[in-house]
Amino acid sequence: MKLALYPGCLMPTEQYAYEMSIRETLPLMGVEIVDLPGFSCCGEPLKSINQMLTLHMSARNLSIADREGIDLLVPCPMCHLALSEAKNILDGNGEMKKRINAKLREEGLEYIGKQRLFHIIDLVHDEIGLDTIRERVKKTLPDLNMAAHYGCHILRPSEMGRPVDSENPRKMEAILLSLGVRSEDYAEKLDCCGGPLLPNHPETSLAKTGQKLQAVSEQGFDGMVLACPWCQKMFDSKQTKAAESVGSRAHVPVLYLTQLMGLAFGIDDAKLGLNLNLSPVDDLGLKGEVE
Amino acid sequence: MERIGVFVCHCGINISSMVDVESIVERVRELDGVVEAKSYKYMCSDRGAQIIKKSIEEKGIDGAVIACCSPRMHEPTFRGVAEDGGMNPFTVEIANIREQCSWAHDSRERSTEKAMKLVMSSVAKARLLEPLERGRTPVIPNALVIGGGIAGIQASLDLANEGFRVYLVEKDPSIGGRMAQLDKTFPTLDCSSCILTPKMMEVYHHPNIDLMTYSEVLSIEGSIGDYRVKVRRKPRYVDVDRCTGCGDCVTACRMRDRIPDEFNMGLSNRSAIYIQFPQAIPLKAVMDSETCLFHRFGKCGDGPLCVEACEAEAIDFEQKEEVAELNVGAIVVATGYDLLDPASLHEYGYSRSKNVITTLELERLISSSGPTKGEVRLPSSGERPRSVTMIMCVGSRDETQCSWCCRIGCMTALKQVILLRENLGEEVEINILYTDIRSFGKGYEEFYRNVRAENTNFFRGRPSEVRIRNEDIRIDIFDTITNKLFEIRTDMVVLVPAVVPRADSGEFARMMNLSRSGDGFLLEAHLKLKPMDTFVNGIFIAGCCQGPKDITDTVAQASGAASRAAGILSKKELENDPLIAVVDADLCSGCRICISLCPYSAIEPVVETMAGEEVVHAEINEVLCQGCGACVAACPSGAINQMGFKDNQILAMIGVLNDCSDAGGLK
Amino acid sequence: MSITDMTSMAEAQSDLRSEINKRLERLILGVSDYCYQCAKCTSGCESHKLLELEPHQIVALLKRGLIDEMVNSEIIWTCMSCFKCKERCPQKVPPVDILFALKNLTVLTGKQVPGDYTQMLQSVMSIGYIQDRQTVPTRSGDTVKREDLGLPVLSGLQDPNGFQNIITASAVEKI
Ligand SMILES: Cc1cc2nc3c(=O)[nH]c(=O)nc-3n(C[C@H](O)[C@H](O)[C@H](O)COP(=O)(O)OP(=O)(O)OC[C@H]3O[C@@H](n4cnc5c(N)ncnc54)[C@H](O)[C@@H]3O)c2cc1C
Ligand code: SF4
Ligand code: SF4
Repeated sequence: MKLALYPGCLMPTEQYAYEMSIRETLPLMGVEIVDLPGFSCCGEPLKSINQMLTLHMSARNLSIADREGIDLLVPCPMCHLALSEAKNILDGNGEMKKRINAKLREEGLEYIGKQRLFHIIDLVHDEIGLDTIRERVKKTLPDLNMAAHYGCHILRPSEMGRPVDSENPRKMEAILLSLGVRSEDYAEKLDCCGGPLLPNHPETSLAKTGQKLQAVSEQGFDGMVLACPWCQKMFDSKQTKAAESVGSRAHVPVLYLTQLMGLAFGIDDAKLGLNLNLSPVDDLGLKGEVE
Repeated sequence: MERIGVFVCHCGINISSMVDVESIVERVRELDGVVEAKSYKYMCSDRGAQIIKKSIEEKGIDGAVIACCSPRMHEPTFRGVAEDGGMNPFTVEIANIREQCSWAHDSRERSTEKAMKLVMSSVAKARLLEPLERGRTPVIPNALVIGGGIAGIQASLDLANEGFRVYLVEKDPSIGGRMAQLDKTFPTLDCSSCILTPKMMEVYHHPNIDLMTYSEVLSIEGSIGDYRVKVRRKPRYVDVDRCTGCGDCVTACRMRDRIPDEFNMGLSNRSAIYIQFPQAIPLKAVMDSETCLFHRFGKCGDGPLCVEACEAEAIDFEQKEEVAELNVGAIVVATGYDLLDPASLHEYGYSRSKNVITTLELERLISSSGPTKGEVRLPSSGERPRSVTMIMCVGSRDETQCSWCCRIGCMTALKQVILLRENLGEEVEINILYTDIRSFGKGYEEFYRNVRAENTNFFRGRPSEVRIRNEDIRIDIFDTITNKLFEIRTDMVVLVPAVVPRADSGEFARMMNLSRSGDGFLLEAHLKLKPMDTFVNGIFIAGCCQGPKDITDTVAQASGAASRAAGILSKKELENDPLIAVVDADLCSGCRICISLCPYSAIEPVVETMAGEEVVHAEINEVLCQGCGACVAACPSGAINQMGFKDNQILAMIGVLNDCSDAGGLK
Repeated sequence: MSITDMTSMAEAQSDLRSEINKRLERLILGVSDYCYQCAKCTSGCESHKLLELEPHQIVALLKRGLIDEMVNSEIIWTCMSCFKCKERCPQKVPPVDILFALKNLTVLTGKQVPGDYTQMLQSVMSIGYIQDRQTVPTRSGDTVKREDLGLPVLSGLQDPNGFQNIITASAVEKI
C-alpha cells in the first residue's frame, strides 16, 4: 500500500516524534510513504478568521492528491477533519466546488475528490489489520494500563465521516491490546485537550489539559496514548504547566500510539523520538525491556 | 339454602401463610346445612372450578361459600362456575379472608380466628340466600346520535353501516360542526371540507340515517335497550322538500348583509334567511325568526322579498315547531366544544381591537369560502398584515381560567403559520409567543420541526400587556430563552383560546342524566378503560364533548363509541343483574326520600287507587337500578330490600360475628 | 414589523440572520432554526465550565437576530471547537459552526482579532504553514532541530508568491 504523507503544520515543525515514529513503523506494516511537494496548512487553524480560506486551503491540498492520484495519510486529526469537511462541502454543493476550482485553477490544480483519506488509527485497524500488528510484535511490553485519548477531531462531527465511532471509540484500544497493552475505559475519554484555545485563552486551555491529566492519574492509569500532535503538545509538552494550572502534581507518561507500536516492534527508541517526549515516559519501563 | 358447600382457598401461600385453612375446613364441616367443606391451593383455577362443580354434582349442593380474596376479584368467576355446574349463581357467597385477614394481620392465630368468624357468618347468610333470576329487556335496534360534528357523523355512519337505524340530531341548520369552519387541517394539511363534505353527503343519502337538523333533544326516558326520546324540530319556515338551495331568497332578503354571520364568527354579515355555508347538508335555506322583519313586525315592506324570489314556493311562514318521539336502544352523545371568549383576558385586547382575533376567526379569514374569500386582511382596514403575532394558551393552563391544556392550540397555531405564509407570502413576519409547544400526535413533532424552519420567531413566555393605539399594536414579552424583554410591534394578533365545554353543557348533562368532570366536559366511566362509556348504561360519548381533542382522536373515539353502542343494539335482549333494590309497596309510605337519593334516577312514584283512595308508592326500574343500595339504607319505613343483601341475611351475619356460640342457630 | 430588545434597544438584524443561515446551508452544516433550546449543547460544552460559553444562547440570539450583541462579545472566541455541541444536538443544529460564522463576521467588520490568529495567518501567507520548523527541547535537557533527526526535508511551497496572491483573496471572501 502506497500513501502520500500529508504532514500538516504542527507535526513537521515541532511534533517530530510523531513523524519519526510514523516513518519508522508504517513500512514495517507494508505501507510505503511517499512525500509530495507543494502541501500547505489545511486551513483549519484559520477557520475563525475566515472559513472560505480554510475551505480553499483544504481543497488545495486535496487537489494535490488528486493530481498525483494517490490516497493521503493524514496523521493530524484536525487536518483530517478539515480535509473531510472540505470534501463534504465540495461534493455536496456544486456551486461551491465551481467557486473553489476557479481559485485552484490559478495554481494549475483541480479538486476532483477521488482520493481517500486515512488517519493512523483507521489505517492500522481497518486496512493493515490487527493480525499483521500481532505478527510484527517483537518485544513483550510491561503490563500497562494506558488511557486512550482520541482527540476531538478524530471523533467528531460524525456527520463528516470520522475514522472512529464518535461516542464509543474502540479502535485504539484494540490496537493497544494487540500490542499487549491494556486500555480501560474512563469517564473523561472523550473530553477535549483544550488545545484549540491556546492562541487566545492560554490559561484556560492549560487548565482544560490539567483537568484531564488529573483525571487520568487519579484513575490509576500508567500513562496516556494518543494520535494527535495538538493533544500531544498539550498533554506532553505542556504537562508541567498544565498540571500546575489546576494545582495538580499529575505525573503522566504520554506517548504517541506509533511510538508504542514502534517499541513493541522492537525499533530503537531513539528512532522513535522518545527522547522528545517531555512527560515522564521513562516511568513506563519501556526502554529497559526493549534494549 | 339447605345444602351448602364451603370452599377455602390457600391462594398459593397468600392466605395459608397467615390463616390455618385446614382448621377452618374442619370447623365449618360441623355447621348446620354444610354438606361439603374443601380447601384448595388456587380455588380460582380450572382445577378449583372442577372441585366446586363436582360438589354440585355429587353432593347436590345448592349454595356455596367461597373463602378467598375480595369479591371484587373473583365473585363473577365463582358465580360463573356455579352456573356452569348447574347451581343458581346468586346463592354463592364470598368470604374475604385475604385482604381482610391474611394480608391485614401479622398474628396467624388471630387472623385464623377472624377468618373463621367471617366464613361462619357467610355460611349463616348462605343459608338464607334465595335463588335469583336475571331479568330480560328487549333491545330496540335503533340509535340516537346527538351532535352532527365530525364525531357524530362518524358514529352515525359506523352504526348505519352496521345496519342499525340512526337518528342524527343536530341543533344547527347543517351538520359539520367546527370542522366545517376550518380551512386546512394539521398535520397533513388536507383541506377540511374536502375530507368532511363526502362524509356529510354520505350521511345525507344513507338509507339507514334519519337526519334531523335544526333540532334538539327535549327529554329522555327509559333505559338501556329502550330509550324514549323527544326531539324538538325547530321550524325553518322553509319547506325543505321544495327548497332547492339556490339561495335566491338569501340575496333578496331585506335584511341582507345586516346580521352577523355566526358561521364566519361575526366577520361578515348574512340575511335573515340564509344557508349556513356553501357545503351545508342539507343544502336548504333557514329563516331566522328573530331577525326576520315579517316575523318581528308582522310585515316586511310591501311583502316578504324572499317569498317573491323563491321560484319553488318553499317559504312557509306558517311552519310550526314539531316534536318527534324516538325509540332507541343506545345513544351516542357528540355535542362538541366551544372556545373560551378571550374577552375574559382583557389584557390581550380582544375587545379593544378588531385586529385581535382568535384562531377560529383566522380559519374563516383563510378559508376561500370565508368573509374575505380567502385573503387574509386586517379586519380594521382591509389591508394586508405585514406582521402577525400569535399568543398561545389564552386561558389554557391558567388557574384563573381553564386549568387544562386545550390539546389543539399548539398544532393549530403551527398549522396557521404555514397557511399564513401561503396566503401572505414568505416575507410576512410571524411571531409565536408560547409556554410549551405540545406536538404529541403522530406526525405532529415533524410538523412542528418544519414550522421552526419557516423563519418563525418563537418567544417563550406569555405576554402580559397588549397595548393598542389605533392600528398600532405593541406587545411586551419577556422571552425566557434569551432572558430579555422584547417589544414586538405587530399588525395583527391571533389568540389561541382555551377549549371549553359547550355553553349549555350543564343543562344538557342534567337533561341526559350524565355527569360532568370538574372542567365541565362530560364525564367518562373510566378515563383509561372506559373512555367512551358514561355512568348511564347505553349512553356513550365521543369527540370534544368529553374533552379537547383533535380530529384524529375524535374520529377514533366516535368509532369506538359506535362500536360500543352496536354491541348493545346487536343483541335481541339484555340480561339485568338481579341484585337490585325492591320496594315492598305495602310498607312504602310514599315519602319519596329514595327518589331524590337515587343516583341513577331509577325510582319513580306510582299512584294507585286502593279502596277508593289514591296512594303513592315508589317503584324501582329494574333496568336502571345498579344495586348501589343508597335507597335501601335511606328508606325510613324499611320498605326497600336489596336482593342478595336482605335484612334477614345481613342480620344473620351480624349475629354470628357478634357471638359465634349462639347466634344464627349454629352448632 | 419590528422586534426590539428593550434592554439594549437593539432591533433584530434579520438580514444578518439570514446571511448566516444561508452560509450554513451552503456549507451543508445544518439549519439553526430547528433549535428548540434543549441546551444539550451547553450541558456538554467543553468551554462552558471554564469560560461560560453557552452555545444554546448563541443559537437563540441568532434566531432573535441579535447578531451585533454577539459580534461585539469576547465570548464567541472561547469555543474550543471540540464539536461536541454539533455532534450531540438532537436537532442537528451546529452551534460550533454558527460560532465560526460569527467570528468570521467579526473579522470581516475589521474588529481586532484576539490572540495569535493574525500571526498564524501571516505565517501561512508566507510559508504555507502556521509556523516554521521549531527547535525543540528533549527530555535530557538538549535542544534539537528537524534537521538533526534524520527526517526528510520539509518540502515548502512551490510558488510562494503565487500562493500568497491566491490565498489572500480567499482570506477576505465571504461564503
Ligand atoms: C381554530 C381551530 C382549528 C383546528 N384545526 C384542527 C386541525 O387542523 N386538525 C385537527 O385534527 N383538529 C383541528 N381542530 C379541532 C377540531 O375542530 C375538533 O377536533 C373537532 O371539530 C371535534 O369534533 P366534534 O364533533 O367533537 O365537535 P364539534 O365540531 O364541535 O361538533 C359538535 C356538533 O354538535 C352540535 N351540537 C352541540 N350541542 C348540541 C345539542 N345539544 N344538540 C344537538 N346538536 C348539538 C354542534 O352544533 C356541532 O355541530 C381545530 C380547532 C380549532 C378551534
Ligand atoms: S443547538 Fe441543539 S443542543 Fe443546542 S439547544 Fe439547540 S437543539 Fe439543543
Ligand atoms: S465546539 Fe465550542 S461551543 Fe461547541 S461544545 Fe465545543 S467548545 Fe462548546
